[in-house]
Amino acid sequence: MTSTLRADPIATDQHVDEPQPPNAGRSTTLWASTTIPRSDVRRAAPSRRPIRSWSKRDMQLLAGVALSSICTTLLIFGRLTSWNGKVGFAIVTFLVFLVIYAVLSSLTENRPAVIDRVMTVLLASAAIVAIVALASVIFYTFGRGWSALRHLNFYTEDLRVTGPEQDLDIGGVLHAIVGTTIIMVMALVLTVPVAITCAVYLTESKSRAVNAVRTIVTAMTALPSIVAGLFVFATWVLVFGFPRSGLAASIAISIMMLPIIIRSADVVLRLVPGSLREAAAALGAPQWRTVWHVVLPTARSGLTTSVILGVARGIGETAPVLLTSGYATSLNLDPSQNPMASLPLTVFKLVSSGQDNQVARGFGAASVLMAIVLVLFVTARVLGGRPAGRLSPRQARRRVAQSASDLVRIDALRAARVETNVIAAPRPPAREAFSHGSTQKEHP
Amino acid sequence: MTTTLRPTTPHGGAPDTPRTLSLRLGRSDKIFTRGTFASGMIVLSIMGAVGFFLTLESTDALGKVGFGFLTTSVWEPDRGVFGIKAVVTFTILIALVAVAIALPISIATALFIAEIAPRRLRSLLVSLVDLMAAVPSVVYGLWGAFLMQGQVIGVSRWINTWFSWIPLFKVEGADPSNPLSNATVYTASTFVAGVVVAMMVIPIQCVVMREVFSQVPPGEREGAFALGSTRWGMIRVVTIPFGRGGIIGGTMLGLGRALGETIAVYMVISSRFDVSFNVLEAGSNSVSALIALRYGEASEFGLSALFAAGLSLFMITLVVNFVASWFVSRSRSGASSDA
Amino acid sequence: MTSLNPTSRRTARRRFAMLSLVAAALVGSASATPVTAAPSYQRISGEGSSWSANAIDAMRVNVEQFGIIVNYNATGSTAGRKTFLNGTVDFAASDIPFQFQPEDGSAPENPAPGSYAYMPVTAGGTAFMYNLKINGQRVTNLRLSGENVSKIFTGAIKAWNDPALQADNPGITLPARNIVPVVRAEGSGSTQQFTAWMIATHPEVWQEYCERSGRAPSCGPTSFYPTVTGMISQSGDLGVSEYVKQSFAEGAIGYVNYSYALSAEFPVVKMLNAAGFYTEPTPNNVAVSLLKSRINTDESNPAKYLTQDLSGVYTDTDPRSYQLSSYSYLILPTKVAGQFNEAKGLTLGAFAYYAMCQAQQSSASLGYSPMPVNLVEASFEQIRKIPGVQVQDIDIRQCKNPTFSADGTNVLANNAAQPQACDKQGVGMCPTGTGGLPNVPTAVTASSVGSPTPGSPTPATPTPGSPTPGTPTPGSPTPGTPTPGSPTPGTPTPGTPTVNTILDATGAPVDAVTGAPVDPTGVPVVVVGVDPAACDPDTGVCGGGAGQTADAPTAGGAVGPITATTLAKSSAWDASLALVLLIVILTVGVVLAPALAWRFFNEARTS
Repeated sequence: MTSTLRADPIATDQHVDEPQPPNAGRSTTLWASTTIPRSDVRRAAPSRRPIRSWSKRDMQLLAGVALSSICTTLLIFGRLTSWNGKVGFAIVTFLVFLVIYAVLSSLTENRPAVIDRVMTVLLASAAIVAIVALASVIFYTFGRGWSALRHLNFYTEDLRVTGPEQDLDIGGVLHAIVGTTIIMVMALVLTVPVAITCAVYLTESKSRAVNAVRTIVTAMTALPSIVAGLFVFATWVLVFGFPRSGLAASIAISIMMLPIIIRSADVVLRLVPGSLREAAAALGAPQWRTVWHVVLPTARSGLTTSVILGVARGIGETAPVLLTSGYATSLNLDPSQNPMASLPLTVFKLVSSGQDNQVARGFGAASVLMAIVLVLFVTARVLGGRPAGRLSPRQARRRVAQSASDLVRIDALRAARVETNVIAAPRPPAREAFSHGSTQKEHP
Repeated sequence: MTTTLRPTTPHGGAPDTPRTLSLRLGRSDKIFTRGTFASGMIVLSIMGAVGFFLTLESTDALGKVGFGFLTTSVWEPDRGVFGIKAVVTFTILIALVAVAIALPISIATALFIAEIAPRRLRSLLVSLVDLMAAVPSVVYGLWGAFLMQGQVIGVSRWINTWFSWIPLFKVEGADPSNPLSNATVYTASTFVAGVVVAMMVIPIQCVVMREVFSQVPPGEREGAFALGSTRWGMIRVVTIPFGRGGIIGGTMLGLGRALGETIAVYMVISSRFDVSFNVLEAGSNSVSALIALRYGEASEFGLSALFAAGLSLFMITLVVNFVASWFVSRSRSGASSDA
Repeated sequence: MTSLNPTSRRTARRRFAMLSLVAAALVGSASATPVTAAPSYQRISGEGSSWSANAIDAMRVNVEQFGIIVNYNATGSTAGRKTFLNGTVDFAASDIPFQFQPEDGSAPENPAPGSYAYMPVTAGGTAFMYNLKINGQRVTNLRLSGENVSKIFTGAIKAWNDPALQADNPGITLPARNIVPVVRAEGSGSTQQFTAWMIATHPEVWQEYCERSGRAPSCGPTSFYPTVTGMISQSGDLGVSEYVKQSFAEGAIGYVNYSYALSAEFPVVKMLNAAGFYTEPTPNNVAVSLLKSRINTDESNPAKYLTQDLSGVYTDTDPRSYQLSSYSYLILPTKVAGQFNEAKGLTLGAFAYYAMCQAQQSSASLGYSPMPVNLVEASFEQIRKIPGVQVQDIDIRQCKNPTFSADGTNVLANNAAQPQACDKQGVGMCPTGTGGLPNVPTAVTASSVGSPTPGSPTPATPTPGSPTPGTPTPGSPTPGTPTPGSPTPGTPTPGTPTVNTILDATGAPVDAVTGAPVDPTGVPVVVVGVDPAACDPDTGVCGGGAGQTADAPTAGGAVGPITATTLAKSSAWDASLALVLLIVILTVGVVLAPALAWRFFNEARTS
């Protein structure tokens, strides 16, 4: 699916944008800068029209049906057959709801419309089920962890002197928070430079090896994390004889994260409009400058998102850390030796101990982990909410100001040239730039 | 967007003959090209090393038992009797249960997001589904082991009571007519693990499908409406056929994730090594759980056997993922999805 | 192009500076938090036995005050020995020595000669923790003979009301519940001890099982329990005890160290010993039993030195002995290898000294038995072999080890209480609770309570397992301690907290946990005052319609022989189901009929 990105006839049709007039509103519009074309593969689809809005009558009907179905189910459950159980109640209510809704709709609507309504309810309820499940995961975790979370020591102490039976005002998961941070920072240091350069290689190079690398990377996203852990355990620890440590864990997580980040970064970089590269090339920039000053900044938010999502994935991995670092109950700042706990592993170990307080600590640690993931996720949303090249208002203002100052500078230069009567000769290596530009053409 | 590159002949006149282009890189670009090439090769070699090492390590074990590796269910490498029949069967069963639960929910959610939800709700739902994908698997494991297990027992018992005539839902040792029968026969089962894994599969499938559904050409949608279709009619005749590739691809991707899940499954199941297709029955297994359970105490040969198991799991997920990508990319819709 | 701009470059630099500041602050604050360790001690890590993990964890916590940081992972004895061989830990804990010639077909372990030393670190009993209720009342006084234990864990006995089990427990009516044996999933020393005991005492039971489970011909003692359908395997003693503890796991029984039953507050099986008494593995009883274990004293052979031979324990005729008592070991490195160096040896030595001396004071309170003096002395010698160790000259009397006496005998064993008379085989049955629930007696039929022998000594030390019968401690954290016949209205009782009713096959509601029939309001229906003789021996359910229905609080509060009402037995798809379906259809019909009728008339009118 990689090379067909632009081959889709529909996509191509939709995305040929009329070129922006080069000088339109150069100091007033946010879109004046040359680096910001409007074209973007995903956004360009014509907007859909809203098809139908709910009428008041529909709402009344829904509410009435809901009420009557609950009452009916209560009747069946509580009085007539003495059933019990929340799950059963919910399912029966839902079925009764569907039946009543279908019948009542059929009073006023024809068959297709009734089917339409029932299906709409079914689809909506599936979404509700998914959301309720997610909410139950989140709230259940926070709820059971709350008794541990509300103690400040939970964030400032480790478990070195904490026995399983001890109260929650002793001991915390500092060691796991710090351990996770160290492991993830090291994994990022190992991963990000390689991943981004590799993604650049995949998008910018014409080398024949690109396809091989891309295939391998795609294949490696299928690597189960435990196998990555097992690989590092068998090589790094058993063959090379390094101790089980935070470093080993971060290597394992890197191996797992690397293909994930490369692939999403690859997708993001491919979304950078080719016209930008061409423009840069046409201005005579060598390729590395094009990449460094045009492609990467344009895709910055997307790249950040892909890295953050990679981190969110890696930070929650338990199995590789279990194999390569092992669990520790005390703070360890030395990643080169001794076990270093990570949050997910701590959660796993604490809850499997079973004592109430340990389980509460485990849920607390899970809540901390989830809070970290949430923060990362929201950050990714805020940064990555915009597609490649689209700027935040602040960035746009800065860009406009910069363009304006550039214009002043260029004007001044031109004025100086006119003064000295120097006729700017075309740059000799224009051919190089041109040939670069032509290579940007996408292959079907 | 690259169409403008070719020089056109706007003013008529003699058509341009294409120039011969030659590329001579500057020094900086040479460094750049070689640098990026090097990083590509580094990645290639790392990934190659992983694959190579997996194969190398497992040859020892595979060479000893040969095809028996696929047909033996017990796992006692030190006695020379081991195979992945049971673990792989259970792994696939868990994944299938997960997909069976997740598929209706994720298709319906994706359709709801793409076709029905109002604009504001839509972006919220998209975020929530993405968030669902970001929740660490250990948290799902907690949820499964502590909250779901108790609920699922009731469901399992009910299914077993009414549908035990279907071989899949039979439970050895369960006697629904005996109120004193043990609830333990329903715990730690493939089904419970499948429910937990389904939570991880839903967002993955949903994201792919939503992306595909949202690319339905507006012309076709509006055409359907113009012909008097209801919204469900439009979904049935336009959206679903258009997104079929995405549905299949998304399902396969979810399957790939479900196969490789370790810790959530490990927290829920009780491992067993006799093949059983009774998904409600206590005890299950998975390749990753096997590795997590046995890596520490494995002898050198045992480790090699674990590598062979890991390799086979990798192979399965690899095939599933490639098939998924193939479906997504071949479909009319999935051309630009990043599946 | 932004970075060409000097201003943005400056912001970038500033951002970087800020980032590094934050990072520095993070690292700084992190490194400032831990108590500054004594500079000489290096962090050490160990792995292994989960059987002894509670004792080792307590030591680990206690040595922190000296700045010794120990990481211990209870991953099982087999994994502990394996990681020790791999050199990825500094010490291992294992219940059994290295397996040079394993008899279960696993690969032999071949540590380099002279690279390790065994140090017995604690002793204890492998207890059988179970989850069993009779009509919502937890059974706390179950007794089993060794043969029955073996048969339970080999699937030969499948139900609790098996006559063989009933014969062990004349005072209670065991329910017709299936037995769910819970075993260890990973390689475990306690599994090895357990199977070795089984092979020594009931070889035919084991041999039959070994063949049935497909393990044959390697039927020697094994660390990997072979499983068959119906068994649950869990990782670690904790995994087993956690599983047995669950409310849904009624009928489960698993083998764990005694300390896990104590912390789980669950009862353990009293096992029949060679003297004909049913005993539980209290620290005192374990101390008594281990007097009969033969310790290898051949110092010239480090592969065997200090290892245990437990065959004498199995046949010990002391009435207090418990057959599954054993020592657990630390495996100490005696050579620098892998990640182990002399600096770590210094720490490990200090830790080992602490473990053998001060730590022994408190091990009885955890459920372990402290080391006798000869083993402590031998262990001190073993510690000297650790490279880099700072040899301590410890006055052994300062250790305050509860087993030490002036004359060299084991005080703990000397003071061990004789079992109650009712614990003797064939003389009825004691109501006394066991394990983690010593204060929760289980009602037994009057005839079965043996009359206390006048001469039987009362417990000298108040060990957790041997309280005097009939004196429930007020305020005990576990529910269900009321005295017989006293109704406790308003207080939650074992029957009520779990109103998790589900349908049984007949559509009649059944309490999900207890399996007792429930009335529509969710309150278990219990009938009191039934003659226990009327109980059905097959189901453990006592019939007899003469009882009166009472509310659960009262009924659950009574310890007298409570029995449930009749149980309707029937298969799925029968009349009651049809009735339920009919009710549902009628109810929905009542709701929908007016609407449909209206439509019908409307259409009739318009057409």
